Amino acid sequence: MRKTWVAVMATACLALSACGSGDGGSTAVKDTVADKGLPIVGETVKYDPNTLVNDGEPINLEWWMWDGDETFGQFAEAYEEIHPNVDIQIVNQPWDDYWTKLPLQLQSDDGPALYNVHNSHHENLITYMEPYDIPVDELAADYAGVEAHVIDGKVYYIDFGMMTGLIFYNTAMWEAAGLTDADIPETWDEFRDVAKKLTIRDGNSFTQAGFNFNSQFKEFSLGLPYQQGQHLMAADQATPDLDNQAMLDTINLFTGFYDVDQVGSKDFGPVAADSFGQGQTAMIYNWGHFGGTLGTNFPEIEYGTFRTPVPEAGVEPYAHDRYNGESTLGINAKASDAQKAVAQDFLRFYLTNADLMKDLSLHYSVFPMYQPLADDPDVLAHPVLSALGDITKYVWPGPIPATFETSIDTMWQDILYNGVAPETALATAQKTVETDLSSTDFVGVENLYAGYSSK
Amino acid sequence: MKTKAQSILLNVALLVVGLLTVFPFVWMVLSAFKSNAEINSLDQTFFPREWTFDNFISMQQNFDFARLMANSVVLSVTITAISIYTSCLAGFVLAKYTFRGRGFLFGFVLSTMMVPWAVTIIPRYTMFTEVGLQGSYASLIIPAILSGFGIFMMRQNMSAVPDEVLEAARLDGASEIFIFHRIVMPMSVNAISALAIFQFLWVWEDYLWPYLMINDPSKQVLAVGLTTFSGRYATDFGGLFAATTISIIPVIVVYVIFQRRFIAGAASAAVKG
Repeated sequence: MRKTWVAVMATACLALSACGSGDGGSTAVKDTVADKGLPIVGETVKYDPNTLVNDGEPINLEWWMWDGDETFGQFAEAYEEIHPNVDIQIVNQPWDDYWTKLPLQLQSDDGPALYNVHNSHHENLITYMEPYDIPVDELAADYAGVEAHVIDGKVYYIDFGMMTGLIFYNTAMWEAAGLTDADIPETWDEFRDVAKKLTIRDGNSFTQAGFNFNSQFKEFSLGLPYQQGQHLMAADQATPDLDNQAMLDTINLFTGFYDVDQVGSKDFGPVAADSFGQGQTAMIYNWGHFGGTLGTNFPEIEYGTFRTPVPEAGVEPYAHDRYNGESTLGINAKASDAQKAVAQDFLRFYLTNADLMKDLSLHYSVFPMYQPLADDPDVLAHPVLSALGDITKYVWPGPIPATFETSIDTMWQDILYNGVAPETALATAQKTVETDLSSTDFVGVENLYAGYSSK
Repeated sequence: MKTKAQSILLNVALLVVGLLTVFPFVWMVLSAFKSNAEINSLDQTFFPREWTFDNFISMQQNFDFARLMANSVVLSVTITAISIYTSCLAGFVLAKYTFRGRGFLFGFVLSTMMVPWAVTIIPRYTMFTEVGLQGSYASLIIPAILSGFGIFMMRQNMSAVPDEVLEAARLDGASEIFIFHRIVMPMSVNAISALAIFQFLWVWEDYLWPYLMINDPSKQVLAVGLTTFSGRYATDFGGLFAATTISIIPVIVVYVIFQRRFIAGAASAAVKG
């Protein structure tokens, strides 16, 4: 017994000896050389590396994120090479709890100087954000979509990339059905024909679905009405507008795939993404991130992509789809002045590093908003990004509250599984979103779309 | 004959329930040897179609598994040891000493068990942040020093220790410290073993508090590290299952060690009875 307690107490001592909250071993060393002999980089926004940041004195910054630590870490490493007195410690966190911990931490004086932002959490974070110390017009010259992020003449984060929806198709099934690149559909009618060719049935049951949209409802429903010039918000940008003919047409188009064309079923492959990965389904609609999911969970599936079809051949729609931005980093307003100064310098480095920005965009399968990369051959050759076409033809409605997505999902479940008429389900969704939005001060930004016209 | 049939039926029922209970665990262990493609495939098999150790090999590449495992072991052992000792101490005092306010004190201890944990986490977070303990293991150890459940359990157990034994020791000149360490604690070994199992498991599985308190990745605990396998859009199930499989080994070791002592202690008590 005595030996046991001695061992336990020794262990406790060891543990307690590790109780100090040190900085985890900083690699920062004093920098005395301002002139690094490096070129000034950037287009309109410039970054001059030939300076001493923090007067060359060692300084530590934490950079929080929820994934992509290796990709983002390349920015930190490259910056530390130029400025050895700066140590940027990457702290990776789980996505769900990141949004619990980060606001709590930012309230205190010990929050991270840098942190990754997702626009769906705009309301929770904006209070703690330091505005970018870069003129907005300079940013807007280099990055697309900056205008939508301007608050009282300042920006607190912008988008480094845009993600939207497109059609993923299984190339083996495509070939087996005798289809070639020439069969890539441009319109929904052509899409319907292709889906029929890709469907394999065994009596009344499916062996292979030509098209499957189960559990993928919000992704397309909130984007395709734009093809008919219909917005999610009324002209005042404060009133939701879901209950309209364009949304009803979208619902009927998709229910028609199952009920009329019989290229899939609500009961075959309950999750379209999994069904595609499992080789059950030939085509699905999904957002660009699905390319990464396929690589992780279904590496054996060979796939191609094409842009979401449009109503009429040869007629450019009002817009192709909705997009959402992947945001640039935020700077902690409560960080020390020295940290904020270094963070602003790092931000310029981050926004002007074309090579790393390209890697970042390709990693997340997002189209780079950094204009010099718009025609980059690697971007245009990317299996997901290559399909998007003219990226100015996508609308960002703003950081729409979650009620839009949850209400649309509920609406579809009611239509498909509970036998509710589309008109009734849509009216319910409209009412729910109206009620939920009444307790927020959300204002949409669809009116900033280049081709905006209120309808 | 009827009794034998009932016994067989009961055993069969228990076997079925046992198999159902253990099935997900075994499935997870076996899936750790499957590729992600096989785990996500439509045609599921209990045993891997193609055995692979890639998930275990790549585990350390994804995050510093060994470091986080060591952190968790040290913390769990430390917290378990401290909370057992304080629980025994408080339990002994509440069970064997008569003083004004004893009932109120015990009631207060019990009431701490009735406050939902989620209610206290934000104020506790603010408290530890304000005093500068965030980022240190002290922030994980201090809240666990006193366990309401542990005090309750040990108080109930030590109440059963005959007062005559303690009186005899006192007549022989034993100090109160001696009595506590050499007589009462050894007689409570079965309860201590049970408490050790509970406490170790709670600390080992604790996720949110360590996540909120520790920022330095090298000081993080395994329960938090395991969540890094789940990304925003996809989960590396193979890696997650492999890491989880390895991570439960210490739990099993603790369980096996203390369960044996628990049974021995219980059996011993029965013989003495």
